[in-house]
Amino acid sequence: MSDCALVSNVSEHDASMDVGNDKSLFEPSVEMMVNDFDDERTLDEEEALAAGEQQDPKAELNSLQREGDMPLEELLALYGYDRSMDKPVPEQAPEVVPEAEIEKPESALQQLYSETANPEATRCLRSGSRPPSEEEDDYDYSPDEDDWKKTIMVGSDYQAAIPEGLCSYDDALPYENEDKLLWNPTTLEEKVTEDYMKKVCAMTSGTTGVDAVPRGRQLRDDEEALYLLQQCGHNVEEALRRRRISAQTPAHASLWSEEECRNFENGLKAHGKDFHLIRLYKVRTRSVGELVQFYYIWKKTERHDIFANKARLEKKKYQIHPGHTDYMDRFLEEQEASGGNVVRPVSPTPMMEFGPSPATQPDPLALGEKEVFSQLNAHTTPPRALSMEDPEPPTGS
Amino acid sequence: MTQHKVAYFYNADVGNFHYGPGHPMKPHRLSVTHSLVLNYGLHKKMQIYKPYRASAHDMCRFHSEDYIEFLQNVTPQNIQSYSKDLLHYNVGDDCPVFEGLFDFCSMYTGASLEGAMKLNNNACDIAINWSGGLHHAKKFEPSGFCYVNDIVIAILELLKYHPRVLYIDIDVHHGDGVQEAFYLTDRVMTVSFHKYGNYFFPGTGDMYEIGAESGRYYSVNVPLKEGIDDQSYVQVFKPVISNVMEFYRPTAIVLQCGADSLAGDRLGCFSLSTRGHGECVKFVKNLNVPTLVVGGGGYTLRNVARCWTYETSLLVDENISNELPYTEYLEFFAPDFQLHPEINSTNNANSKQYLEAISKHVYDNLKMCQHSPAVQMTHVPGDFFPDEYRIKDEPDPDVRISQEEADKIVEPKNEFYEDEKDNDKDPPPEPKEP
Repeated sequence: MSDCALVSNVSEHDASMDVGNDKSLFEPSVEMMVNDFDDERTLDEEEALAAGEQQDPKAELNSLQREGDMPLEELLALYGYDRSMDKPVPEQAPEVVPEAEIEKPESALQQLYSETANPEATRCLRSGSRPPSEEEDDYDYSPDEDDWKKTIMVGSDYQAAIPEGLCSYDDALPYENEDKLLWNPTTLEEKVTEDYMKKVCAMTSGTTGVDAVPRGRQLRDDEEALYLLQQCGHNVEEALRRRRISAQTPAHASLWSEEECRNFENGLKAHGKDFHLIRLYKVRTRSVGELVQFYYIWKKTERHDIFANKARLEKKKYQIHPGHTDYMDRFLEEQEASGGNVVRPVSPTPMMEFGPSPATQPDPLALGEKEVFSQLNAHTTPPRALSMEDPEPPTGS
Repeated sequence: MTQHKVAYFYNADVGNFHYGPGHPMKPHRLSVTHSLVLNYGLHKKMQIYKPYRASAHDMCRFHSEDYIEFLQNVTPQNIQSYSKDLLHYNVGDDCPVFEGLFDFCSMYTGASLEGAMKLNNNACDIAINWSGGLHHAKKFEPSGFCYVNDIVIAILELLKYHPRVLYIDIDVHHGDGVQEAFYLTDRVMTVSFHKYGNYFFPGTGDMYEIGAESGRYYSVNVPLKEGIDDQSYVQVFKPVISNVMEFYRPTAIVLQCGADSLAGDRLGCFSLSTRGHGECVKFVKNLNVPTLVVGGGGYTLRNVARCWTYETSLLVDENISNELPYTEYLEFFAPDFQLHPEINSTNNANSKQYLEAISKHVYDNLKMCQHSPAVQMTHVPGDFFPDEYRIKDEPDPDVRISQEEADKIVEPKNEFYEDEKDNDKDPPPEPKEP
């Protein structure tokens, strides 16, 4: 019993581990005698220990008592325990026994492990990382239930059908001609490729956008230029010639007009980051993909800062609901990257890029998120002129 | 170190999807990663493919047809007419229906599938698809932001050529979808290192989940506690993988590099640095087994991009500077603008003893692999063999021996020896007998 007492006394990981080992010296030894399956390395060692223990049960109890009061380091020293040495002890365990029985001789791991599996208050499920107000009646993730442990399901509904044996690709590959090799590094010397890249670089620098930025010592790979080189049969001269011809026309997606930008920002204000809705009601000239791409570039521009600043001023006088810490973290993180930037005049505030969203948002998709917003908005914004935007979408359409 | 042929699969559109407001999964991390790869000049070191897009048929190699049909048809516009299916397929909060959902699945799955095919054809030694690695998806439902399990589909492809495929998962979440798909087979060993306990998603990955039936001992789980740092992680990762290699001897590997095991992840709770995470990738690369490298989780966008860019550089054996190159996304990496930002280490709840004990537990289970009947471990050739070779192995040993013996012993009648091998002199032995 003394080791049990010890367990309850010491809750540190190390402690319970050591105790576990200690325990394993006594318990499995009997089993070991019975069990003729053993690892030969440990057999003698175990027998020696077991023999010692069985001599006098009283002495054993006494020594256990003493050990219980002993600091762990001493205890370890007493047993001459090199930690790498205690591994062989539970080794004989697995054999053919089912899982449940494995637990017994592995008490050391067991104790450490149970701490892992012990359900506590922390909510770390994916859904759990979301704001509490967003919590829905999602039976799968309800953290109040004890059965957070899931089991691996077995049956034809769950497993993949494994192909029998091995085979070859005798017939044509299913994807043939549907993929596209854009670049192959083995055809040209690396040096040649690099020179080519430098020339291409020199050709394009001084124009607009990213290309206008001085390169420094990094040499950027231009996927289009490399693809062109490959299309020209890796003929550098030819590729450069064609490149020169096409250099005038902008290769990238067409630039956004001022109107598109404005509509995009209005959309963001009205719908949050629901790009599907923004596309539907605000920026019909762009695909959702383009909107997403634009959003990530936009959010690190001055335009975003102005937009955010304005949104911030609008709700400056209202306090953000103090209970929503998770929510805060989320948005703090979103804004974090811009936080340390000296160029920025605006100190990033969470929430800023979200305008009030209508409380009666019919889109079931974004419901959880929208609920958060509407709750927050209840505190932060008066029900101001939302209606100047397009009417809310009928979701069924 | 031998130079590996690396193929990189990237669809320029795969980053332009959005799961919806507030959702932590941001496919745009793939665009940011790609931009860094380009700007570091890593692009030209690899074969670059604009990958095949997986068809519904490809997806049905694992998933149920009903489910894939649902994915194919459901859109944010018509979602209301599917309300029954939404519940049935558990679509909603974690796995929303967003614009272009099926296209997204088709892109990342196609890339993984093609990576597997290129490996099978020896077109490359390492195939990289950062858009893949959606390891939670189940046969008939999505889970944990994953809709189609590209890993399972890629492994099924690898199994056409490879007798034994090893799956390694360093995402902070348990690789439950992959483990479940191959729970009963010994042809795939799944090894997952993950946070387990305290309601952490997905709730599986107990150390006693070891597989069942033929697959018993072929599911390996290394449950960890929060806050694990580089040193502790590597202390577990390397010996476990070394033992797995020794006992299982896979002929192909799929490595899931979920970046939510990095410190500071929005959903994760580990304390790995990009270097520590990369160390695992480097270790697997140096095993010199054909490897498909896929992405996975990762919810702090800038760190995901850093991590996978760094790992791309490791896979192509290229040193890249800690100073990030200029990209259109540079501002995301403020304030340090470095590839390896300082991390604030949190409390590591994994004691050395626990890590040793869990490694030991894994080792003990791995030893059982030897004893379990794994026919293909001895009988299946490492690669496709022409039929005439294969037939040799199949017949009854008795028959084969006599047949082969006969073939070897038979000598042309006109080639007799003069010495003791000479069969003509049959009579002489007879006198010796008495």
